[in-house]
Amino acid sequence: MRIEVSDLGDSVRNVALVGRLDTSGVLGIETSFVTALVPHGKHVVVDLSKVEFIGSMGLRMFISVARTMRDKQMKLVFYAPQPLVNNVLETAAFARIASVCADAAQAVAATKA
Amino acid sequence: MPGAEHILRFPATLAAYEQAFAELRCTLDAQAVEAKARYNAELIFEEIVTNIICHGCGHGPHGTIEVSLGFADGAIVMKFCDNGPAFDPRGHKVAEISSIEEARIGGLGLELVRRASAGIDYQRTPQDENHLTVTVAARWNRDEG
Repeated sequence: MRIEVSDLGDSVRNVALVGRLDTSGVLGIETSFVTALVPHGKHVVVDLSKVEFIGSMGLRMFISVARTMRDKQMKLVFYAPQPLVNNVLETAAFARIASVCADAAQAVAATKA
Repeated sequence: MPGAEHILRFPATLAAYEQAFAELRCTLDAQAVEAKARYNAELIFEEIVTNIICHGCGHGPHGTIEVSLGFADGAIVMKFCDNGPAFDPRGHKVAEISSIEEARIGGLGLELVRRASAGIDYQRTPQDENHLTVTVAARWNRDEG
């Protein structure tokens, strides 16, 4: 599991996740993921296009971070999940937690809505 | 290939789970299971095995998990056996996520298993073992086209 971080201007950070969000993947990346998102005071868009698998551990990590971001009044938006990953997000009604957009442009626009 | 059976047996530890998960993926590769069924089988394995390790026999020194994978026509049959405390996942009601305020961090895994499976059966044996059978509807890549 790998994280790639880049800033999209002054107010939005892009975080791309690469690999599998199974138990091992989450345990290996959770601290880095939280550190990449929370302390910087920016809205965050998370690129899921290279995430091949997500289970409940990955969902829990996202829910936990989404709560923290909301408490800090920062927006967290996900985009471009692969179809089978998106099935899991839909099964869990994840859209009630955070927006899931088709692409980066829509995700960035959602942070400004 | 339908008709084949494969058995994974490993200690109830996260390190052993990682190795077993890699072996599961190799087995699914060899069986040429189509993508959706493959994902569902991996998801069920992930959720059931980590649940056994974290909440069941993983707390004892002699916990063992056995997973038997059967590849029948139209289905993957996954049988999970462990010697931990009795746990029938069919009896657990799971609330859907309703909002960020109310979302429960626990319980999501069983709901994912329920949605990814075509059937779930459970027995507590006289030998004090949990026997959980989860069926996944499946096609094989050679069936397509």
